[in-house]
Amino acid sequence: MRAYILKRFGESLVTVFIVIFAVFMLMRFMPVEGYFTREDFTEMTAEARQVYLQSIGISGNPFGQFGRFLSGLAVGDWGRSITVYPKTPIASIIAEKAGYSLAFGLSAIGISIVFGLALGIAMAQNKDRLVDSLGTLYVVVVRAIPSLIYLFLIQIWVSGILGWPMVFYADVPVSWILPTVSMALPGIAWYAIWLRRFMVDEENKDYIKFAISKGLPRKKVMTGHVLRNAAVPLVQYLPTQILLTIAGSLIIESMYSIPGLGGLLVYAIRQQDNPLVQALVLLFSVLGIFGVFLGDILMVLIDPRIKLEGTSRTGDHV
Amino acid sequence: MRQKADHGTSPDPIAEPRGPDSGGTLLSADNIVIRFNLRGRTLTAVRRASLKLHAGETLAVVGESGSGKSVLARSFVGMLDKNGRVDEGSISYHGHDLARFTAEQQWLGIRGKRIAMIFQDPMTALNPLKTVGEQIREAAAIHRGMDRSASKLLALDMLTRVGIRDPERRYSQYPHEFSGGMRQRAVIAAAIACGPEILICDEPTTALDVTIQAQILDLIQGLQRDLGMSVLFITHDLGVVARMADRIAVMYAGQVVEEGLSREIFYDPRHPYTWALLASLPQLGVKGEELFAIRGTPPSLFGELKGDAFAPRNPLALRVDFENEPPFFEVSPTHRAKTWLLDPRAPAIEQPDTVRRLKARIATAGHRAGVPHPIGQEASV
Repeated sequence: MRAYILKRFGESLVTVFIVIFAVFMLMRFMPVEGYFTREDFTEMTAEARQVYLQSIGISGNPFGQFGRFLSGLAVGDWGRSITVYPKTPIASIIAEKAGYSLAFGLSAIGISIVFGLALGIAMAQNKDRLVDSLGTLYVVVVRAIPSLIYLFLIQIWVSGILGWPMVFYADVPVSWILPTVSMALPGIAWYAIWLRRFMVDEENKDYIKFAISKGLPRKKVMTGHVLRNAAVPLVQYLPTQILLTIAGSLIIESMYSIPGLGGLLVYAIRQQDNPLVQALVLLFSVLGIFGVFLGDILMVLIDPRIKLEGTSRTGDHV
Repeated sequence: MRQKADHGTSPDPIAEPRGPDSGGTLLSADNIVIRFNLRGRTLTAVRRASLKLHAGETLAVVGESGSGKSVLARSFVGMLDKNGRVDEGSISYHGHDLARFTAEQQWLGIRGKRIAMIFQDPMTALNPLKTVGEQIREAAAIHRGMDRSASKLLALDMLTRVGIRDPERRYSQYPHEFSGGMRQRAVIAAAIACGPEILICDEPTTALDVTIQAQILDLIQGLQRDLGMSVLFITHDLGVVARMADRIAVMYAGQVVEEGLSREIFYDPRHPYTWALLASLPQLGVKGEELFAIRGTPPSLFGELKGDAFAPRNPLALRVDFENEPPFFEVSPTHRAKTWLLDPRAPAIEQPDTVRRLKARIATAGHRAGVPHPIGQEASV
């Protein structure tokens, strides 16, 4: 088990390294103007620019630059934003904004799991009956209608009906609700439809029939066998989903003016803020890669069939 | 290969019948009709089939795929698929009519506890994500009201009983760490954990290779003897039948067409379908002659069937077979067949040569030592 974790961890590190390297090298193709604010660029002489670029480690051999970038990362120096938040350390920008995205994202995932799983179970138990049809209707609506439409309806109508603020104020608790719920809607649909599907699959398995033929009550078969097995494929994605909440939600954060990380990457690209783009791509890819890593570890823990090298025992044969 | 105790001196290689009086009727299914709704159409899978299971006996139900043998057996434990139902008839068991059971609560007192069932494919019968021990333990815990440690002890005992060595270690292993034969043993352990009175075996060895088959059959016979269970054995493997069954019921197109003691069915079959089944045994082929095969296909069960369902495939069919459904005619107190051939007015039609050849084979095989069964394990319908 430990060997497996170390191996997968090592693989993840290599992947992260490759991503960082690729992003960093691609950024070298960008014009160096991206490292200056507009005023600085016009005011500075050619030599002053060179001196400045050298001071932030962006000159000379690209591999040398990459080495300096890595050693900066190692001591927590992510560089400074240039055009978006001039001269502000990127680490502090991310720290401030990620908190909002994480808070909203985690609440949304919590709601998605609770309601999504409940809906999925209800749909599977009542397959082809009214509950199932209504659930399917909900899923289809959420997945098929462009999210902007219902998100706007929620923001405008629901806030109007309930008398809640239409945008987010950190100090008004009730203003947290609509964005959180809006974020949870697709998640609920995702959990519901997959859990339903996996549960229905499970119910037709021979071992479920055998469990019933042993005389287990339906409830016990449902919780102890069907649900237990159906949850396995869903658990794999959980770490990734949780980690990537940090990245925030582009649409909902901008609709409700939430100061999260949601739109920052797109904005930084538009503003040619090279260090910020680099840092954000790095952050998101690390989160994604380690989400998959944690998902794999979880799978090993909950699915005994996944064999680990060196630890598998073969069964005796008759 | 373990043999039945009474085999040592008997020249008759076919399982010695205990006779109809060895035990009273335990379960009696009468005129069962089972229908399924399939995409708006109604399929009648079982058409007024009757079956009696005596205490302590092994009754084999044979027939080709789709003959309704599995469906009929499943109705005894309330395990029909959701679109199926017992429409007519009764299943009497200890004063209950199982055919009228509707609530899960009613079945919980029967299923697993008094009538247990094992299925064809041991590779898929155990939940891959739960330990084998837990899957034996959980049923025992419920039916016997045992706590965790008591039911674990029972499960360990069951593992030992079904011949699994090192039960402590095996208990906490997962199904994928077991081979097919071991899994079927574990499945049997789970099925007998509650001390059932009836064990329904739905083709329990079809998915296993021949040597393992023999071990599993021995195991079932041994357990039956030790626990005094009745076994309802569903199979299309006549080799298994010859070896296991005290009595045999032959099913065709949702009906029992012939029923009798094992030796009566093998020595003196009366229904043309039983003849055809036996004649299809590849062991009875004569070198140079083409092997016998039943022509045609079983009738569609979506509509009403007229006359004898086997008539269209029966080269010896009488005209009346196409018009009227035959009743059961008694051949002996233990043997009856549903064919017009037994009617006194019917012309005398001889059993086919191959079936007579079977008799001869059984007779000679019986005298040869070391050949316990005239019919090989691989003989299938």
